[in-house]
Amino acid sequence: MLSFSQIASDVDQWLHKVCSPTWALVFEMVIIGVSVIGLFAVLGLVLVLMERRVAAWMQIRLGPNRVGPQGLLQSLADTLKLLVKEGMTPGGSDKFLFNLAPFIAMIAAMLLMAPIAFASNFQIWNINIGVLYVSAVSSLSVIGILMAGWASNNKYSLMGAMRSGAQIVSYELSAGLSILTIVVLSGNLGLNDIVLSQKDGWWIFKGHIPAIIAFIIFMIAVTAETNRAPFDLAEAESELTAGFHTEYSGMKFALFFLAEYINVFIVCAIGATLFLGGWMPFHIGNLEGFNHVMDYIPSSIWFFGKTFFLIFLIMWFRWTFPRLRIDQLLNLEWKYLLPISMFNIILVTVVAIMKWYF
Amino acid sequence: MDGSTIIFYILAALTLGSGLLAVTTRQIFRSAIYLLFSLIGIAGLYFWMNYDFIAAVQIVVYVGGIVVLIIFSIFLTHQTGEKLPSPTLSRQLFAALAVFCGAALILVQLYHFQYTGTTETALEPNVNNIGMQMLSTDVGGYALPFEVVSILLLAALVGCIVIALRTKPQTN
Amino acid sequence: MFITNYIKNVFGAVKSLAVGMKRTGYYFTHHKEIITEQYPDNRDTLVLADRFKGEVVMPHNENNEHRCTGCTACELACPNGTIKVVTKFDITPEGKKKKAVDKLVYHLELCTMCNLCVVACPSDAIKMAPTFEHSVFDRSQLTKVLNQPGSKIMDGVE
Ligand code: SF4
Ligand code: SF4
Repeated sequence: MLSFSQIASDVDQWLHKVCSPTWALVFEMVIIGVSVIGLFAVLGLVLVLMERRVAAWMQIRLGPNRVGPQGLLQSLADTLKLLVKEGMTPGGSDKFLFNLAPFIAMIAAMLLMAPIAFASNFQIWNINIGVLYVSAVSSLSVIGILMAGWASNNKYSLMGAMRSGAQIVSYELSAGLSILTIVVLSGNLGLNDIVLSQKDGWWIFKGHIPAIIAFIIFMIAVTAETNRAPFDLAEAESELTAGFHTEYSGMKFALFFLAEYINVFIVCAIGATLFLGGWMPFHIGNLEGFNHVMDYIPSSIWFFGKTFFLIFLIMWFRWTFPRLRIDQLLNLEWKYLLPISMFNIILVTVVAIMKWYF
Repeated sequence: MDGSTIIFYILAALTLGSGLLAVTTRQIFRSAIYLLFSLIGIAGLYFWMNYDFIAAVQIVVYVGGIVVLIIFSIFLTHQTGEKLPSPTLSRQLFAALAVFCGAALILVQLYHFQYTGTTETALEPNVNNIGMQMLSTDVGGYALPFEVVSILLLAALVGCIVIALRTKPQTN
Repeated sequence: MFITNYIKNVFGAVKSLAVGMKRTGYYFTHHKEIITEQYPDNRDTLVLADRFKGEVVMPHNENNEHRCTGCTACELACPNGTIKVVTKFDITPEGKKKKAVDKLVYHLELCTMCNLCVVACPSDAIKMAPTFEHSVFDRSQLTKVLNQPGSKIMDGVE
């Protein structure tokens, strides 16, 4: 059967046949780089269209429906527009940092792709500290935002960057703690190992109460971490025009925009991996027959299905609730999410020690 | 020179070069960013040595924590476009002296240390081993230092709260 | 109690989130509710809301009669000076002079569709019409006379 892991190993073998191991490695890196960029482009187009459609339907509108059949080419047209737009650099700004910032945001998003298991045996880098790596590198993306805010020499940008910094730094804690819940349950940090530990059921079912609490907290925290409404104080168009990317235009803006959507994809992929079993098909305990039927659906479809389900959840979230005020935002984190997730960690430790999960 | 060595030199150059820029630039925000690159270069070296865990912790603590805090304090106290005054000559001299002494101390230590080879297989630097070692109470375990450090952190936390606490106005 | 309040808060919050998401989820799945009008395409079948206010008109019946008495109440009510009532004196069959409207001049370009004139009119002579394709090339075309030429007041309207 044609599967991602099959293709990957075929390419690997072929490259080793035609050239030396070093060059094979170099070529493989290039292939990976190109395919990640390709994935980014496709994801950007798909997610933007999906967001606009979901938003429209939730607000009883139609959404984009003019460009191409059913408006499917809308985001392509938008990309074209952004490409031909002039990229301006405001006077009095720190040119070097101003131009660097979008790339930092993009590179951070790119690095995060590495440990994600897209399908069975298909992963760029099977690093044994997967989730730790993810939470480490995702803290890099805030640097891009802070840099953009500072370098723009604009008070709205600066305020947006400050808000976003405060927000990301504080919500990272509860996101990390809810990730830890699953780490405690599975006893592993590697993303692929965590997926493998869900062979007989996804953690959200196996880990029952603590896993569900952790899932809810995770979804709220990552929505905040990716700066999306109702936590989009960093952009807050009604207060700060566009927050940290007020001064950006053309392709540099597009990079920020793309990085936001890629980040959404990544956090949802992580969430799907941790709570919904990643590429693992839906298995119930020892029901051999049922599990076998589920195995016929390719693992990549499971992975992308779950990820897009979570993305839809986040979009649903976004288009339902109004923006929080900054004090409400910090209250929510420090007075509610953090204490609850700390309590949840204790609960899950007890559950794990007593083996009360299924 | 194989690929691994080349990568090492690239990382080393990144670390040292951005470290140098961090102290020579006269724009404070850039200085923080160069410091960030330098710290990332060190994390890269850890990755290069296959110490994944240490590398990730380096990024979490330094990039996600310390540099962000530095940037925050810059945000609160400085303005974009402002340039720092160049330091006085005496300071520059003292800085050079301090750097020289520090480097000399380290080099002397390095060259005088008797490295003894061991035949034992290296402990795999994975999270399990690190965790076990960190919390073991046996000889060579780090449970005691770990707890002592946490008391230090606790003291720092309490200190912060005391400083930030607003005293209630006395009403009588 | 602090703890019970806290727990109540948390559950209340989760519940209110669920209520909100239920509403948007309903709209997401029920495309019949969509209210977007694809305007230039559905120009023939366009349905406008009952109370849509597009312009002030004066209805006339089949005998070219309207209900306006020329009392100028609408002119006084209008905050923008949009309406100018030009009056004349009719001679009634009994030979008495009677005030009547000569021209009710309406400047569409000044009108904010506030409906105050319609409310002010004592004889219900004017109303808001649901038209909106008002663009013209010359702005003098926006100045309209609402009573049709040769029209006269309906019988029985005082
Ligand atoms: S709708 Fe308002 S603005 Fe327009 S004519 Fe009547 S009173 Fe004046
Ligand atoms: S439209 Fe009504 S308010 Fe205006 S002059 Fe005629 S009767 Fe009077």
